[in-house]
Amino acid sequence: MAYFFNTPEDQRKMLEAIGAASIEELFELVPPELRLDRPLQMPPALGEMELTQHMSELASTNSHAGEQACFLGAGSYDHFVPAVVDAIASRGEFFTSYTPYQPEVSQGNLQVMFEYQTMICQLTGMDVSNASLYDGGSAAAEAVLMAMSVTRRDKKVVTTASVHPEYRQILETYFEGSGVELVTVDTTDGATQMEQLVAAVDDQTACVLIQQPNFFGCLEDLQAVSEVAHEAGALSVVSFDPISLGLLKRPGDLGADIAIAEGQVLGTPMQYGGPYLGIMACRESFVRRLPGRIAGETVDRHGRRCWVLTLQTREQHIRREKATSNICTNQGLFALRAAIYLSLLGPRGLRDTAELCLQKTHYAASQFSEQERFSLPFSRPTFKEFVVRDRDRNIADLLASAREVGYLAGVPLKRWYPELHDCFLVAVTEKRTKSQIDGLIRSLTNSNTTTAVAHA
Amino acid sequence: MRNRQATKLIFELSQDGRRGAKMPTCDVPRQDVSSLLPAAALSASPPPLPEVAEPDVVRHFTNLSTLNMSVDTHFYPLGSCTMKYNSKRNERLAALPGFSDIHPYQPDETIQGLLQLLYELQEMLAEISGLPAVSLQPAAGAHGELTALMVAAAHFRELGEVRTKVLAPDSAHGTNPASARMAGFDFVTIKSNADGNVDLEDLQAKLDDEVAVFMITNPNTLGLFDCQVNEIANIIHAKGGLIYLDGANMNAILGIARPGDFGADMMHFNPHKTFSGPHGSGGPGAGPICVAEKLGDYLPLPVVTKHDACYRLDFDRAKSIGRVRSFFGNVGVLVRAYCYLRTHGAEGLQQVAENAVLNANYLLSQVKHMLPVPQGDRCMHEFIATASELKKKKGVTAMDLAKRLLDFGFHAPTVYFPLTIAECMMIEPTETESKETLDAFAETLFRITDETKECLQEAPHSTLISRPDEVQAARVPTLKWTPESVHVTDK
Repeated sequence: MAYFFNTPEDQRKMLEAIGAASIEELFELVPPELRLDRPLQMPPALGEMELTQHMSELASTNSHAGEQACFLGAGSYDHFVPAVVDAIASRGEFFTSYTPYQPEVSQGNLQVMFEYQTMICQLTGMDVSNASLYDGGSAAAEAVLMAMSVTRRDKKVVTTASVHPEYRQILETYFEGSGVELVTVDTTDGATQMEQLVAAVDDQTACVLIQQPNFFGCLEDLQAVSEVAHEAGALSVVSFDPISLGLLKRPGDLGADIAIAEGQVLGTPMQYGGPYLGIMACRESFVRRLPGRIAGETVDRHGRRCWVLTLQTREQHIRREKATSNICTNQGLFALRAAIYLSLLGPRGLRDTAELCLQKTHYAASQFSEQERFSLPFSRPTFKEFVVRDRDRNIADLLASAREVGYLAGVPLKRWYPELHDCFLVAVTEKRTKSQIDGLIRSLTNSNTTTAVAHA
Repeated sequence: MRNRQATKLIFELSQDGRRGAKMPTCDVPRQDVSSLLPAAALSASPPPLPEVAEPDVVRHFTNLSTLNMSVDTHFYPLGSCTMKYNSKRNERLAALPGFSDIHPYQPDETIQGLLQLLYELQEMLAEISGLPAVSLQPAAGAHGELTALMVAAAHFRELGEVRTKVLAPDSAHGTNPASARMAGFDFVTIKSNADGNVDLEDLQAKLDDEVAVFMITNPNTLGLFDCQVNEIANIIHAKGGLIYLDGANMNAILGIARPGDFGADMMHFNPHKTFSGPHGSGGPGAGPICVAEKLGDYLPLPVVTKHDACYRLDFDRAKSIGRVRSFFGNVGVLVRAYCYLRTHGAEGLQQVAENAVLNANYLLSQVKHMLPVPQGDRCMHEFIATASELKKKKGVTAMDLAKRLLDFGFHAPTVYFPLTIAECMMIEPTETESKETLDAFAETLFRITDETKECLQEAPHSTLISRPDEVQAARVPTLKWTPESVHVTDK
């Protein structure tokens, strides 16, 4: 067996010390009628080599971004992860430790949390950050719950159709049966309809949840949205793209009260959707309502600077049903990866990365717009992704034929936006080369797939 | 030799103009940024992140790592957290590009191997739990609790029953009451009896038609298997309520007993505990839930289904509660759990439980001579010892003992939880420790219970820092570094 120590002789000695005749006897606490009376039905155990062969076989049947040029985005992106991130994060002292309940032997983890929190504040322009949540989507839900608690308004939340549809689905799930009304404002030309937003936000509204750049890749007028929220006494909750802040103004500089993000882009592989990193930062005055772990600075008995988990009276293990959230584990390993990634990039590396995304995205968009088959339905400025319309309206076949020649070309939008059934979302990170972009366009324009209607 | 530079903050290493990563030159025709984005959206300068060279980054974080205790380096008997060995093979396999480099919106036909793995994992969890319907979506144990309570709420909504309460014993994890509140229920605490099990009288007294769910951790947080569980389930079921099993302690009963067989309708697994996913200094975890047939339709979207030899994500589930997180779930953690289960097989899993229980009972037999174990001579995978007598005798606390253990290279047990036992230490050795390690831990505990009050109250003595001032940290929270931060002398 893989990871056991106890030899039969060990077991004998241990049972003797316990005063039990057999291991079986130790399970006396479990009444016989409650026990499983047969072995579990499981596939047979595999040794390391067999397991490796089996897993390699399973893995080999999956296409991945290393062999296909990945233009998929929509909340998870194929950004470059420097080797240092993997090398450090795979140190057992980081990844096999747990929540720093004993600060004296967890200063490494605690200092990383403190540095991460600082970097998130630097990145966002917000006052305080927690030490991470699960992912961008649940961070959005936690942010909205926090806004309801801060404003003491539990009737209404306003969001817009340009916020990630899955984030909005999470909110719907969280609100089901709670009596909270979730109002979703429409978009026009790929961004929030401001008149409708103004009309939707009232003195019952806890917050406005907006995304920047939004789900279609377009820029929203964050300042204006925040002002609409603030005029009604509501909070502005902004879901941002961390990479975009190499170029764009920070949420904290544009009126955000709570800023959340999917932190996967900061050095975490895509791994089919998780585990990722939920980023959450807010104004200082809300800190006691912030969910999740927080590290703080203090001194030890000899006056030396050190770090501890702090403000724990917010948390479930102290406050139980009165806690700010039920969250316990967080995503410490990915907060570490983000801290390493941001340290490596620094201000200029982040700016360069953001600019490469911007330039390549605009190049790709311009190439699409030159093709007769495609159009760009939205004219607003975009950062690293954009929506493409297929005039032949045959997206499934189009994307499938691109895959055959090595391109993951885009995410179809029909699943979430029936009116955009003929559109797909294309993301272009700094990793995509000109030759891949040109190849993508070729693969899509050479595609023999035309609309089913044309065939008829 | 410890590197004294290690405790500088990365911001204090920053020098203008240094950089760690250089981006390639732009290979597409470059346009003026101001022609692509509106001036009002552009920042004048990038965020003020630290400016350090790559070797700085490597040395800084590597040195920080050495300031941690971890399973790879130390015995880590943190009760309730199941800090077992995290196998290296699982890390290597989860990092295969065919698992780690997959975009979450890739079409099903491009990821058949992964979907097969996830499908088989659903099947294995259903078999281990005895509950047939599985969602792999929740991101952590607490998230699984919340999800399952939402499933329960949807179930009762459909039945047209108004049930507003969730009950759990006072020994429950804090996440239970917190999840109940988040799911919109009122929370009611049930007392534990003198044995540490659920007080049935108190349960009966608080039970009514408004109870939706009774949450039970079994084996419980005292390390006992509550043998009344089936009776409790019958009582709750008779009133139309559901039983939720907090699966934090599944390590003790793998292949021995199944929650679905002893009355649970819903449960979560903690793959980062039971199935050895590394805890990652606080996470990631995962919190897959298993539920009874009648609740399966309410599970979050999507689930993995199999038709002939083809696997796909099923979104076509009208009664589903919807989503609780974006994308599929914590797939990286689930891949490791799959590796763990395939490594052990049925017999291996049972041996996990047997050796976990053997190790805990052995350690109990050694520890009880120094510190009383209020629940008696037997336990499941963990036990509670109390320093109450020691406190009376010489004024030292469980925390003092915990801190002194650090000096001897042992991570401390969980202290002051559960809340029902004074001065408690919750000790969980796991199956991946040797008798020698357990002996060394017990001998150390023996030695330190004999030490002077002064020595124990000042402990730890050999760690990088002594006990931090947590009161000050909370009173004047300093939660980030600023350029104006005063550097307290690093002695």
